[in-house]
Order: sequence, then C-alpha cells, then structure tokens
Amino acid sequence: MGNRGRRRVWLVVAAMLFVVAALLMFTGQGEEPVMETPRVEFPRRMRAPERERAERRRTHVPAVPMDAGTPEPARPRDPLLAALPRGEGKTAVVIEANALRHSPIGELLLDCLMRDGGKRLDEFRKLSGVDPLQDLDRLVITDEGLLLSGNFGSAKFQELMGERVSMDYGEGARVYEPGDMTVTRPDGTTARGRSEAAVATWNNQLLVMGSSPDEVKAVVDRVEGRGPNEPPAISEGSTYGEMYGVLSVEHLARLLPPDQAALAQRIRDVAQHVELHVDASGDVAMVADVRGKNGEEVTDLGKTLGAALSVARIKAQAEGQKDLAQLLDFARVQPDGASFKLELAVPLDAIQQRLAFCKEERSTAEAAQH
Amino acid sequence: MSPVLGIAGYVLREALSRKFILAFIVGITLVLTVVALSLRIEVVDGALAASRLFGEELRTSIRSVDVALRPVYRAAAFLVFYGGILFGIVACSDFAPSLMSPGRIEHLLALPVQRWQLLTGTFLGVMTLALGGTLYGTTGLVLIFGVKAGYWTAGPFIAGLLACVGFAAVYAVMLTTATLVRSAALCAAAGFVFLVGGVIAGYRQKLMPFFEEGIGRNAFSAVTLVLPRLSALAMAGGDIAASAPLEVRSLGLLLLGVLVFGFGALALGFWRFDGKDY
Repeated sequence: MGNRGRRRVWLVVAAMLFVVAALLMFTGQGEEPVMETPRVEFPRRMRAPERERAERRRTHVPAVPMDAGTPEPARPRDPLLAALPRGEGKTAVVIEANALRHSPIGELLLDCLMRDGGKRLDEFRKLSGVDPLQDLDRLVITDEGLLLSGNFGSAKFQELMGERVSMDYGEGARVYEPGDMTVTRPDGTTARGRSEAAVATWNNQLLVMGSSPDEVKAVVDRVEGRGPNEPPAISEGSTYGEMYGVLSVEHLARLLPPDQAALAQRIRDVAQHVELHVDASGDVAMVADVRGKNGEEVTDLGKTLGAALSVARIKAQAEGQKDLAQLLDFARVQPDGASFKLELAVPLDAIQQRLAFCKEERSTAEAAQH
Repeated sequence: MSPVLGIAGYVLREALSRKFILAFIVGITLVLTVVALSLRIEVVDGALAASRLFGEELRTSIRSVDVALRPVYRAAAFLVFYGGILFGIVACSDFAPSLMSPGRIEHLLALPVQRWQLLTGTFLGVMTLALGGTLYGTTGLVLIFGVKAGYWTAGPFIAGLLACVGFAAVYAVMLTTATLVRSAALCAAAGFVFLVGGVIAGYRQKLMPFFEEGIGRNAFSAVTLVLPRLSALAMAGGDIAASAPLEVRSLGLLLLGVLVFGFGALALGFWRFDGKDY
C-alpha cells in the first residue's frame, strides 16, 4: 500500500474511532438526568416555620401570677408545654401528630393504619366524636402518663365516661376518676369495660391520662400556673422536629438491647441529660444530644457509642441486612466538650419499601368496600 | 513492537533526565511522607474516634472509618485526576515537539522505524510515566490510610487508573497537535482546551438548557457528543474512591469511549505525520 493509501486508511480509522467513541460515551454516561444524592437534613436547631408554630401556640395566659412577688402580668404560653413535668431527669417526648400526619412518613403510616379500609378509624370517630387525623395536634408521653392536645370540642367525654366519678377542677378542667365505662357501638350494642386510668380534660384542648386523679390534677395545676416554679422539661426553643423531647438516662439505657448491658451502665454513670429530636419532613433523621458533667467521660462515652454503631454497621453489611446498614451509614457522633450529638437517619426510600404492603392492602380493602 | 518499545524507552530516559519530572516524584514522596508522619488516627472498633494533624486535634465526628474517609478519598481522586492531567499537560508538552525538532526527527526517520511507530512509542512512553506516577501516589495514599486506619480499599487505586485513561485521551490530542505545529506551548494549549472541553462534555446534559433551542444548542450538543467526557470519568473515579454508588450508566463503556477517542486522535496524528515532509 502506498503512502497515500495508508494515509487514507488512517483518516477513515480516525473518523470511525471518533464515531465509536461518541457512541460508547453516550451510552456509558447515559443521557437521563442524574438523580441528586439524597442529603439527609438533621434537626439540629429550630427553623423559621417551627418558631412561628411555637409562637402560635402561646394561647393561654394563666390567671394566677407566675411568681407571687412579680408585679408583671403573666405572659401567654403554650398550655401543653406548661403541662409537662418539671425538673431534671424526667421523660417527656412530644409527637407532633398533625405534622407527622402530613409528612411522607405520615402518609405511609396512615396506609398501615387504614389497612382495613378505614373501618376501625370510622368506628373510633363515631364512638369518641374525635377524628384523630383532624383533631389531634400533639401527643406527649411522660413518666406520669399521656397528654393529648388538639381540638376536642366535639368529643363525647360525658357519654364515654359518664359512669365514672368526675368533678370540675381549676378554671376549665374536668377530672374523671378510674372506673367503669360503657361504650355504645355504631350497631347499637353496648360494651362495658373498666379503665384504671384517671382522665382530665382541659378547655377542650387537652386530654390528660394518668394513673391517679392526683397526678392528672397536678398536670392541670401546672397548666393553670399553680405548679412548681421550675421550667418545663422541654423548653420552647427545643420544640423542633416532628418528635422531640427529653429522655431520662434510665429510659435511654433501657432502650439498648440486653447484649449492650455494659454500654447501658456507662450511659447511666456518665450521662445526665438526653434531648431528642426527630425530623420526618423527608427522610427520618434523629439527633440525640447527650450531656454529662465530666467532659472526658462524655467524650469517651461518645467514642464507645460511635464504635458500637460502627460494629453494628459492619455486622449488618456482613449479614446482608441492607436496610440496617443503610441506616447506620448516616450514624455519627459529634463530640462537643461535656456533650455529644448522636445522629441517625433512615432514608425515606427504605421505609417506603418496607411499608409498601400497607398501601396495597388499603387499596384492596377500599376496592372491596366500593 | 520492539521499535515502539524502543521509542517509549527513549522517551522515558529523556523524562527521567529532566529535573522537572524528578521534582514531581520527590514532591509526591514528600507529601506522602508528611501525611504519614503528621497524621494520627485513633480507630476504635472500626470507628474513627479522633484524628490529629501536626499535633492539632481535628474536629471530626465519630463514625465508621470507611464512611469518615470517603470525603478524603474522593478529594484525593479528584486531585489525582485533574491535578495529574494538568501536571501531565505541562510536564509532557514538549516531549513530542522536541522529538520532532530539526536534526532529531531526521535522525529518527533514518532508523528502521515507521512513522506511526514513532508516535505510538512516544505515546506509550508518556503513558508509562503517567501510570507510574499515579500508581506511586495512590498506592502511597492507600498504604498510609490502610496502616493508620486499618481500612483497606482499592478505590483510590482504581480512580488513579481512570485518571490515566483520561490523560491518554488528552495526550493523544497533544501528540496530534505536535504533528501540526512543532510548539510545546501550542501542544499544552491544545491539551488544556481538550481538558476544559472534556469537563464541559461531562456536564452537557446540565448545560444544554442554558443554550437557546436551535442552532446554538444543536452545535453544543454535537461538539460535546464527540469530546471525551472527562468530568464524568472524574466523578466516577471519585465515586469509586469513596465506595459510593456510580452515577454513570456503564463505567466500562464510558472508559472505553474515552480510550477510543484517544486512539482516534492518535490515528489522526498518524495520518498527518505520514504526509509530512521533513
């Protein structure tokens, strides 16, 4: 082949290679827009909507002065926060039921709740006069019992607890002692039962459940400004996330599995205060702020927790538990002197996959009803 | 193939005789040594508990060591990719022009070596140099973090190999440019233009909407379709180094595409070199 012929071959080969390269790169990279890598937003501080929400909730002005010696008029405050236990070492966890209901995870949980096509929920609505999806705002779990806030104006408390001994208490509360209950079902039949819980209602806004009338009265006292002059377990500045609150160290230690008994004991020894925030507006992200007295011991505890999470992640990966490994991928401990922040997250996709069956069952049940 | 290897060896000897290349090797060694001596990592049960650089405690969170090192490895992969290509452009820009300089080229052409073998040998020599440097740097990094943190991964190593493929495409263009003009500066400029073009080509989907529909967008689409998608390769390298899921559809095809582009550029160089009178 002459020089001219060889040159022509090189030119053709070059052109062909460029075409092949373009095709390969086009196919290899893909032309569809790349999905952004999910970034989990951890609830680390109060955001503007949550600040506005907290301001809107300052609706109650106690009739009695907060401090007998102060001439200043009492400021409006959130009755639910006022109802919380006072002092250190208490447990009070607030679940923002309404916000959670309207979050992606709330939609999934609702599917699970209504797997029977919503029959039980309808029955509950008719019996109690309360629609949990509309009327319930917040739910609080404390050492002393349960607190519910919302709009209970149409609740049938009298019909439900009519047989119990009850009395008016304070400015706007009614306290029901433990006793028998008669429930009339939608089909007209009645069911009798006994409840050992004392219940108090306050201005159709709060529902308090406790183990004794004195306990629920103490809660009403705190709401109406007659309680101890100590700040509530959760300050207004900490009301961010869809779930938040404080956990007693003992409660936190008890949450750990039995094989982590040594770690549980270290938590009991070192930690003093545990504050929890869970954000469910997208992925479910949790931040736990653990504080103690001794900075070095707290840092060591943080390292131990970080190591435990790392080992759990490696174990989950080795055992093929993808969901758990994914959850622990985001796990980290951020030491900060005498405190540390423990962060955990569950991607929404993982929860959606896990709860997909609820949606299917709900659709099937609803289709059967129609 | 021996004439090709002979030329490659000649290029390598020439490179090693240059202080610039030697300084580069010494530089990598120094960086690795400083990192090795100044970095202290405390690992507790697979979690990065604390780290100190030059004795100063770094404010890092306690998390699984592989997760904690992801950003470090990703950054290292990008540094190796773009830094390596940039250094390669500057350091290797005058190999081909000096090989084709008057007096030298006549001597080489008098040897029983075909012209395409001359270019291929130069290309191979430079790529051996690039591969050696990349492997030296990435292996050092993997060893340092492996020994200190107890976490071993081939990610940065693979990312380094991807960087070499990216540089192959760029250097092929530089070599072809040398057959057109015997200027080291223009060779480097061509390499730099293709590096920037390659970065843009990798983001063509994101950049396309910035062009008005019609000729402008079509021209942009056509040009970036052919250019080597270097930024996509760099991203893939970063993902591999960080053990993160790949964003590209098929890394193999992308890699092959960039390599084939380099061969195409080289074939164009053969065509031009074959028709040139010296």
